[in-house]
Amino acid sequence: MKKIVIPVLMAAGILAMTSCKKDPVKNLEGDEGQIYVTNHADSINFASFKTFSITDSVSVIQNNRFLGKELSASNAAYIQAVKDQLTQRGYTLVSKDQNPDLGVTVSQVYNTSTGVIDYGAYYGGYDPFYWGYGGYGYYYPSYYGTYSVTEGAMSIDVFDLKDANESKSIKDVWSGLLRGTGVFSVSAANNGVQALFAQSSYFKAN
Amino acid sequence: MKTQFRTAMLLIASLFFFALIPFNSKAQERRLQLDLNYAVGIPGNSFKNDAIGNTSPRGWTANLLYNITPHISVGVGTGFQDFYQKYPRSVYKVNGGDVSAVLSNSITTVPILAQFQYRFLPGKTVQPYVGIGAGGNFVMFDQYLGEFENSKSSFKFAARPEVGVFVPFRKDGPAGIHLFGAYNYMPYKMDGVENLNNWGAGIGIKFPLGS
Repeated sequence: MKKIVIPVLMAAGILAMTSCKKDPVKNLEGDEGQIYVTNHADSINFASFKTFSITDSVSVIQNNRFLGKELSASNAAYIQAVKDQLTQRGYTLVSKDQNPDLGVTVSQVYNTSTGVIDYGAYYGGYDPFYWGYGGYGYYYPSYYGTYSVTEGAMSIDVFDLKDANESKSIKDVWSGLLRGTGVFSVSAANNGVQALFAQSSYFKAN
Repeated sequence: MKTQFRTAMLLIASLFFFALIPFNSKAQERRLQLDLNYAVGIPGNSFKNDAIGNTSPRGWTANLLYNITPHISVGVGTGFQDFYQKYPRSVYKVNGGDVSAVLSNSITTVPILAQFQYRFLPGKTVQPYVGIGAGGNFVMFDQYLGEFENSKSSFKFAARPEVGVFVPFRKDGPAGIHLFGAYNYMPYKMDGVENLNNWGAGIGIKFPLGS
Protein backbone atom coordinates (compact mmCIF):
# COMPACT_ATOMS: atom_id res chain seq x y z
CA MET A 1 0.00 0.00 0.00
CA LYS A 2 2.69 2.44 1.00
CA LYS A 3 4.55 1.80 -2.23
CA ILE A 4 1.92 3.74 -4.09
CA VAL A 5 2.24 6.78 -1.85
CA ILE A 6 5.12 8.40 -3.70
CA PRO A 7 3.71 7.93 -7.22
CA VAL A 8 0.35 9.22 -6.03
CA LEU A 9 2.01 12.22 -4.44
CA MET A 10 4.02 12.92 -7.56
CA ALA A 11 0.92 12.71 -9.71
CA ALA A 12 -0.96 14.95 -7.31
CA GLY A 13 1.94 17.41 -7.33
CA ILE A 14 2.01 17.58 -11.11
CA LEU A 15 -1.74 18.01 -11.18
CA ALA A 16 -1.59 20.78 -8.62
CA MET A 17 1.26 22.50 -10.44
CA THR A 18 -0.44 22.54 -13.80
CA SER A 19 -3.89 23.45 -12.50
CA CYS A 20 -2.71 26.26 -10.27
CA LYS A 21 -1.24 28.56 -12.89
CA LYS A 22 -3.45 31.45 -13.90
CA ASP A 23 -3.84 31.93 -17.65
CA PRO A 24 -3.55 35.68 -18.35
CA VAL A 25 -5.17 35.41 -21.80
CA LYS A 26 -8.25 33.63 -20.42
CA ASN A 27 -8.52 36.40 -17.87
CA LEU A 28 -8.91 39.11 -20.52
CA GLU A 29 -12.38 40.50 -21.14
CA GLY A 30 -13.95 42.38 -24.04
CA ASP A 31 -11.34 44.24 -26.07
CA GLU A 32 -8.60 43.82 -23.47
CA GLY A 33 -6.72 41.44 -25.77
CA GLN A 34 -6.36 44.09 -28.44
CA ILE A 35 -3.35 46.36 -28.71
CA TYR A 36 -3.13 49.64 -30.58
CA VAL A 37 0.28 50.60 -31.94
CA THR A 38 1.29 53.94 -33.42
CA ASN A 39 4.51 55.17 -34.96
CA HIS A 40 5.30 58.49 -36.57
CA ALA A 41 8.16 60.40 -38.08
CA ASP A 42 9.60 62.74 -35.45
CA SER A 43 10.73 65.26 -38.05
CA ILE A 44 7.22 65.80 -39.38
CA ASN A 45 5.23 68.89 -38.47
CA PHE A 46 1.67 67.62 -38.67
CA ALA A 47 0.34 71.18 -38.55
CA SER A 48 1.85 71.78 -41.99
CA PHE A 49 -0.87 69.60 -43.53
CA LYS A 50 -4.40 70.90 -43.96
CA THR A 51 -6.29 68.46 -46.19
CA PHE A 52 -6.54 64.71 -46.50
CA SER A 53 -8.07 62.05 -48.68
CA ILE A 54 -8.83 58.49 -47.69
CA THR A 55 -9.26 55.40 -49.85
CA ASP A 56 -12.83 54.27 -50.40
CA SER A 57 -12.18 50.62 -49.57
CA VAL A 58 -9.83 48.48 -47.53
CA SER A 59 -6.85 46.65 -49.04
CA VAL A 60 -6.44 43.01 -48.13
CA ILE A 61 -2.80 42.02 -47.75
CA GLN A 62 -1.77 38.43 -47.16
CA ASN A 63 1.86 37.51 -46.69
CA ASN A 64 2.81 40.89 -48.14
CA ARG A 65 0.77 40.33 -51.29
CA PHE A 66 -2.11 42.52 -52.30
CA LEU A 67 -5.18 40.30 -52.68
CA GLY A 68 -7.81 42.90 -53.48
CA LYS A 69 -10.10 45.49 -51.97
CA GLU A 70 -13.07 44.97 -49.67
CA LEU A 71 -15.73 47.09 -48.09
CA SER A 72 -17.45 45.17 -45.33
CA ALA A 73 -19.41 46.88 -42.56
CA SER A 74 -16.37 46.91 -40.31
CA ASN A 75 -14.16 48.18 -43.13
CA ALA A 76 -16.55 51.04 -43.72
CA ALA A 77 -16.58 51.73 -39.98
CA TYR A 78 -12.79 51.97 -39.97
CA ILE A 79 -12.78 54.41 -42.88
CA GLN A 80 -15.47 56.53 -41.27
CA ALA A 81 -13.73 56.48 -37.89
CA VAL A 82 -10.49 57.72 -39.45
CA LYS A 83 -12.36 60.44 -41.32
CA ASP A 84 -14.02 61.53 -38.08
CA GLN A 85 -10.78 61.62 -36.13
CA LEU A 86 -8.87 63.61 -38.75
CA THR A 87 -11.73 66.03 -39.18
CA GLN A 88 -11.91 66.56 -35.42
CA ARG A 89 -8.21 67.35 -35.49
CA GLY A 90 -8.69 70.15 -37.95
CA TYR A 91 -8.03 68.47 -41.28
CA THR A 92 -10.36 68.90 -44.23
CA LEU A 93 -11.53 65.91 -46.21
CA VAL A 94 -11.13 66.37 -49.96
CA SER A 95 -11.24 63.99 -52.91
CA LYS A 96 -8.00 62.53 -54.15
CA ASP A 97 -8.29 64.71 -57.27
CA GLN A 98 -8.08 67.89 -55.18
CA ASN A 99 -4.38 67.55 -54.31
CA PRO A 100 -4.76 66.42 -50.69
CA ASP A 101 -1.83 67.05 -48.36
CA LEU A 102 -2.25 63.64 -46.77
CA GLY A 103 -3.27 60.31 -48.28
CA VAL A 104 -4.72 57.69 -45.96
CA THR A 105 -4.97 53.95 -46.60
CA VAL A 106 -6.65 51.31 -44.46
CA SER A 107 -5.57 47.69 -44.81
CA GLN A 108 -6.42 44.27 -43.48
CA VAL A 109 -3.14 42.46 -42.99
CA TYR A 110 -2.90 38.68 -42.75
CA ASN A 111 0.62 37.47 -42.38
CA THR A 112 0.92 33.80 -41.62
CA SER A 113 4.69 33.91 -41.29
CA THR A 114 6.45 34.88 -38.12
CA GLY A 115 8.71 37.26 -39.97
CA VAL A 116 8.58 40.98 -40.03
CA ILE A 117 6.16 42.60 -42.44
CA ASP A 118 7.91 43.80 -45.53
CA TYR A 119 6.63 47.24 -46.34
CA GLY A 120 7.18 46.71 -50.02
CA ALA A 121 5.45 47.88 -53.14
CA TYR A 122 2.31 45.94 -52.31
CA TYR A 123 1.90 47.49 -48.93
CA GLY A 124 -1.24 49.54 -48.70
CA GLY A 125 -2.55 47.98 -51.88
CA TYR A 126 -2.75 51.30 -53.68
CA ASP A 127 -0.10 52.06 -56.23
CA PRO A 128 1.30 55.58 -56.45
CA PHE A 129 -0.92 56.29 -59.49
CA TYR A 130 -3.91 56.16 -57.17
CA TRP A 131 -2.72 59.36 -55.53
CA GLY A 132 -1.65 60.88 -58.82
CA TYR A 133 2.04 60.38 -58.21
CA GLY A 134 2.89 57.64 -60.70
CA GLY A 135 6.57 56.91 -60.88
CA TYR A 136 7.24 57.60 -57.22
CA GLY A 137 7.76 54.77 -54.76
CA TYR A 138 6.51 54.58 -51.22
CA TYR A 139 9.02 55.45 -48.54
CA TYR A 140 8.85 54.03 -45.04
CA PRO A 141 11.19 55.33 -42.33
CA SER A 142 13.57 52.78 -40.84
CA TYR A 143 11.59 52.38 -37.65
CA TYR A 144 8.68 51.07 -39.64
CA GLY A 145 8.40 47.44 -40.58
CA THR A 146 9.18 46.20 -37.11
CA TYR A 147 5.77 44.69 -36.48
CA SER A 148 5.71 40.95 -36.39
CA VAL A 149 2.14 40.09 -37.25
CA THR A 150 1.15 36.46 -37.09
CA GLU A 151 -2.57 36.97 -37.26
CA GLY A 152 -5.01 39.40 -38.75
CA ALA A 153 -4.48 43.07 -38.08
CA MET A 154 -5.87 46.37 -39.26
CA SER A 155 -3.35 48.91 -40.45
CA ILE A 156 -3.86 52.60 -41.10
CA ASP A 157 -1.14 54.50 -42.93
CA VAL A 158 -0.95 58.22 -43.54
CA PHE A 159 1.28 59.44 -46.39
CA ASP A 160 2.73 62.84 -47.13
CA LEU A 161 1.45 63.76 -50.58
CA LYS A 162 2.16 67.49 -50.21
CA ASP A 163 5.90 66.96 -50.39
CA ALA A 164 5.88 63.99 -52.76
CA ASN A 165 7.07 65.99 -55.76
CA GLU A 166 9.93 67.49 -53.80
CA SER A 167 11.09 64.23 -52.21
CA LYS A 168 10.20 62.11 -55.26
CA SER A 169 8.62 59.60 -52.89
CA ILE A 170 5.40 59.11 -50.98
CA LYS A 171 6.54 59.15 -47.38
CA ASP A 172 4.63 57.34 -44.64
CA VAL A 173 4.40 59.86 -41.79
CA TRP A 174 2.08 58.03 -39.38
CA SER A 175 1.09 54.44 -38.94
CA GLY A 176 -1.52 52.86 -36.71
CA LEU A 177 -1.91 49.14 -36.18
CA LEU A 178 -4.70 47.30 -34.39
CA ARG A 179 -3.99 43.73 -33.37
CA GLY A 180 -5.82 41.10 -31.40
CA THR A 181 -9.01 39.13 -31.27
CA GLY A 182 -12.02 41.01 -32.61
CA VAL A 183 -10.27 43.83 -34.49
CA PHE A 184 -12.40 43.11 -37.60
CA SER A 185 -15.55 44.49 -36.03
CA VAL A 186 -17.45 47.75 -36.03
CA SER A 187 -16.95 48.29 -32.30
CA ALA A 188 -13.20 47.70 -32.62
CA ALA A 189 -13.12 50.20 -35.48
CA ASN A 190 -14.70 52.91 -33.40
CA ASN A 191 -12.88 52.24 -30.13
CA GLY A 192 -9.57 51.26 -31.68
CA VAL A 193 -9.24 54.19 -34.07
CA GLN A 194 -10.22 56.55 -31.29
CA ALA A 195 -7.47 55.03 -29.11
CA LEU A 196 -4.88 55.32 -31.90
CA PHE A 197 -5.51 59.02 -32.29
CA ALA A 198 -5.86 59.60 -28.56
CA GLN A 199 -2.28 58.41 -28.10
CA SER A 200 -1.13 60.63 -31.00
CA SER A 201 -1.75 64.07 -29.55
CA TYR A 202 0.86 65.56 -31.91
CA PHE A 203 -1.33 64.64 -34.91
CA LYS A 204 -3.38 67.82 -35.45
CA ALA A 205 -3.72 70.56 -38.03
CA ASN A 206 -3.27 73.45 -35.61
CA MET B 1 -10.17 29.91 -8.49
CA LYS B 2 -12.67 27.45 -7.01
CA THR B 3 -11.14 24.66 -9.07
CA GLN B 4 -7.67 25.51 -7.84
CA PHE B 5 -8.86 25.58 -4.22
CA ARG B 6 -10.63 22.26 -4.70
CA THR B 7 -7.48 20.76 -6.20
CA ALA B 8 -5.41 21.92 -3.26
CA MET B 9 -7.94 20.58 -0.76
CA LEU B 10 -8.13 17.28 -2.63
CA LEU B 11 -4.38 17.04 -2.49
CA ILE B 12 -4.25 17.71 1.23
CA ALA B 13 -7.16 15.31 1.87
CA SER B 14 -5.42 12.53 -0.03
CA LEU B 15 -2.27 13.17 1.96
CA PHE B 16 -4.28 12.83 5.17
CA PHE B 17 -5.50 9.47 3.95
CA PHE B 18 -2.01 8.14 3.37
CA ALA B 19 -0.65 9.70 6.52
CA LEU B 20 -3.26 7.97 8.64
CA ILE B 21 -2.18 4.52 7.57
CA PRO B 22 -1.53 2.80 10.92
CA PHE B 23 2.01 2.26 12.08
CA ASN B 24 3.64 1.81 15.44
CA SER B 25 7.07 3.34 15.35
CA LYS B 26 7.97 6.73 16.79
CA ALA B 27 8.81 9.88 14.93
CA GLN B 28 12.56 9.72 15.25
CA GLU B 29 12.57 6.13 13.96
CA ARG B 30 10.78 7.24 10.85
CA ARG B 31 13.74 9.14 9.57
CA LEU B 32 12.66 10.11 6.08
CA GLN B 33 9.72 12.45 6.09
CA LEU B 34 7.82 14.42 3.52
CA ASP B 35 5.73 17.51 4.08
CA LEU B 36 3.46 18.88 1.42
CA ASN B 37 1.70 22.18 1.87
CA TYR B 38 -0.70 24.61 0.32
CA ALA B 39 1.02 28.02 0.23
CA VAL B 40 0.28 31.67 -0.37
CA GLY B 41 2.82 34.28 -1.44
CA ILE B 42 2.68 37.97 -0.51
CA PRO B 43 4.97 40.16 -2.67
CA GLY B 44 7.49 42.33 -0.84
CA ASN B 45 7.79 46.06 -1.52
CA SER B 46 10.19 45.89 -4.46
CA PHE B 47 8.34 43.03 -6.15
CA LYS B 48 5.08 44.89 -5.56
CA ASN B 49 6.35 48.16 -7.03
CA ASP B 50 8.14 46.63 -10.02
CA ALA B 51 5.79 43.92 -11.24
CA ILE B 52 3.02 42.40 -9.13
CA GLY B 53 1.30 43.56 -5.97
CA ASN B 54 -1.39 40.91 -5.70
CA THR B 55 -1.11 38.17 -3.11
CA SER B 56 -0.81 34.79 -4.78
CA PRO B 57 -3.17 32.08 -3.49
CA ARG B 58 -1.81 29.62 -6.05
CA GLY B 59 1.09 27.72 -4.61
CA TRP B 60 2.48 24.78 -2.77
CA THR B 61 5.68 23.71 -1.10
CA ALA B 62 7.17 20.27 -0.45
CA ASN B 63 10.12 19.22 1.68
CA LEU B 64 11.79 15.83 1.85
CA LEU B 65 13.75 15.75 5.09
CA TYR B 66 15.96 13.22 6.79
CA ASN B 67 16.05 13.26 10.58
CA ILE B 68 19.71 13.14 11.57
CA THR B 69 18.82 13.56 15.23
CA PRO B 70 15.52 14.18 17.03
CA HIS B 71 16.29 17.91 16.71
CA ILE B 72 17.96 18.23 13.32
CA SER B 73 16.77 17.40 9.81
CA VAL B 74 18.36 18.00 6.44
CA GLY B 75 17.00 17.48 2.97
CA VAL B 76 15.61 19.17 -0.09
CA GLY B 77 12.68 21.47 -0.58
CA THR B 78 10.79 22.74 -3.57
CA GLY B 79 7.65 24.69 -4.29
CA PHE B 80 5.55 26.54 -6.79
CA GLN B 81 4.03 29.98 -6.58
CA ASP B 82 2.14 31.72 -9.36
CA PHE B 83 1.90 35.52 -9.13
CA TYR B 84 -0.37 37.41 -11.47
CA GLN B 85 -1.65 40.93 -11.99
CA LYS B 86 -3.54 42.67 -14.76
CA TYR B 87 -3.17 46.42 -15.17
CA PRO B 88 -5.79 48.67 -16.83
CA ARG B 89 -5.23 49.79 -20.41
CA SER B 90 -2.46 52.33 -20.68
CA VAL B 91 -0.01 53.63 -23.30
CA TYR B 92 3.54 52.26 -23.21
CA LYS B 93 6.64 53.24 -25.18
CA VAL B 94 7.85 50.14 -27.03
CA ASN B 95 10.68 50.26 -29.57
CA GLY B 96 10.09 53.95 -30.22
CA GLY B 97 6.38 53.50 -30.83
CA ASP B 98 3.37 53.97 -28.60
CA VAL B 99 1.38 50.89 -27.63
CA SER B 100 -1.98 51.07 -25.93
CA ALA B 101 -2.55 47.80 -24.12
CA VAL B 102 -3.85 46.03 -21.06
CA LEU B 103 -0.65 44.76 -19.45
CA SER B 104 -0.58 41.47 -17.56
CA ASN B 105 2.37 40.21 -15.55
CA SER B 106 2.56 36.53 -14.71
CA ILE B 107 5.51 35.30 -12.68
CA THR B 108 5.98 31.71 -11.57
CA THR B 109 8.72 30.72 -9.14
CA VAL B 110 9.89 27.16 -8.59
CA PRO B 111 12.71 27.08 -6.03
CA ILE B 112 14.80 23.97 -5.42
CA LEU B 113 16.56 24.28 -2.11
CA ALA B 114 18.88 22.42 0.23
CA GLN B 115 17.07 22.46 3.57
CA PHE B 116 18.07 22.47 7.22
CA GLN B 117 15.60 22.38 10.11
CA TYR B 118 15.97 22.51 13.86
CA ARG B 119 13.07 21.26 16.02
CA PHE B 120 12.85 22.66 19.54
CA LEU B 121 10.53 20.16 21.22
CA PRO B 122 10.64 16.78 19.51
CA GLY B 123 8.05 14.36 20.84
CA LYS B 124 5.81 17.10 22.24
CA THR B 125 2.25 17.91 21.23
CA VAL B 126 3.35 21.10 19.46
CA GLN B 127 6.80 21.09 17.94
CA PRO B 128 8.08 24.47 16.78
CA TYR B 129 11.01 24.61 14.42
CA VAL B 130 13.21 27.01 12.50
CA GLY B 131 14.70 26.26 9.13
CA ILE B 132 16.70 27.66 6.29
CA GLY B 133 16.85 26.65 2.65
CA ALA B 134 19.18 27.83 -0.09
CA GLY B 135 19.54 26.92 -3.73
CA GLY B 136 18.22 27.80 -7.15
CA ASN B 137 15.00 29.26 -8.42
CA PHE B 138 13.38 28.67 -11.80
CA VAL B 139 11.57 31.86 -12.76
CA MET B 140 9.07 32.09 -15.61
CA PHE B 141 8.21 35.73 -16.37
CA ASP B 142 5.37 36.07 -18.90
CA GLN B 143 4.47 39.63 -19.76
CA TYR B 144 1.44 40.19 -21.95
CA LEU B 145 0.51 43.27 -23.94
CA GLY B 146 -3.12 42.43 -24.52
CA GLU B 147 -3.08 38.83 -25.69
CA PHE B 148 0.49 39.03 -26.98
CA GLU B 149 3.03 37.27 -24.85
CA ASN B 150 6.66 37.98 -24.18
CA SER B 151 8.03 35.08 -22.19
CA LYS B 152 11.34 34.72 -20.40
CA SER B 153 12.73 31.96 -18.23
CA SER B 154 15.74 32.16 -15.97
CA PHE B 155 17.45 30.35 -13.13
CA LYS B 156 18.40 32.48 -10.13
CA PHE B 157 19.49 32.13 -6.52
CA ALA B 158 16.90 31.68 -3.77
CA ALA B 159 16.93 31.36 0.01
CA ARG B 160 14.09 30.67 2.39
CA PRO B 161 14.36 31.25 6.16
CA GLU B 162 11.36 29.65 7.76
CA VAL B 163 9.59 29.17 11.08
CA GLY B 164 6.79 26.75 11.74
CA VAL B 165 5.17 24.20 13.94
CA PHE B 166 4.46 20.52 13.59
CA VAL B 167 1.45 19.12 15.43
CA PRO B 168 1.40 15.31 15.35
CA PHE B 169 -1.94 13.55 15.04
CA ARG B 170 -1.11 11.51 18.09
CA LYS B 171 1.57 11.59 20.76
CA ASP B 172 4.96 10.61 19.39
CA GLY B 173 3.42 10.07 15.97
CA PRO B 174 5.46 10.94 12.91
CA ALA B 175 2.51 12.28 10.91
CA GLY B 176 0.66 15.48 11.56
CA ILE B 177 -0.27 18.99 10.59
CA HIS B 178 2.41 21.37 9.44
CA LEU B 179 2.12 25.17 9.56
CA PHE B 180 4.80 27.56 8.44
CA GLY B 181 5.70 31.11 7.61
CA ALA B 182 8.71 31.99 5.44
CA TYR B 183 10.51 34.80 3.72
CA ASN B 184 11.37 33.88 0.14
CA TYR B 185 14.53 35.76 -0.78
CA MET B 186 14.62 35.75 -4.59
CA PRO B 187 16.97 38.16 -6.38
CA TYR B 188 16.04 38.71 -10.02
CA LYS B 189 17.45 41.92 -11.60
CA MET B 190 15.87 41.59 -15.03
CA ASP B 191 13.27 43.47 -17.06
CA GLY B 192 13.20 46.32 -14.56
CA VAL B 193 12.36 43.97 -11.71
CA GLU B 194 14.90 44.10 -8.91
CA ASN B 195 13.78 41.05 -6.96
CA LEU B 196 10.87 38.70 -6.39
CA ASN B 197 11.17 38.64 -2.60
CA ASN B 198 7.92 37.59 -0.97
CA TRP B 199 6.43 36.42 2.29
CA GLY B 200 5.07 32.91 2.28
CA ALA B 201 2.73 31.03 4.58
CA GLY B 202 1.19 27.63 4.33
CA ILE B 203 -0.52 24.67 5.85
CA GLY B 204 -0.11 21.04 5.02
CA ILE B 205 0.76 17.66 6.29
CA LYS B 206 3.91 15.86 7.24
CA PHE B 207 4.25 12.10 7.11
CA PRO B 208 6.94 9.43 7.05
CA LEU B 209 8.15 7.63 3.97
CA GLY B 210 9.33 4.04 3.92
CA SER B 211 9.05 1.52 6.73
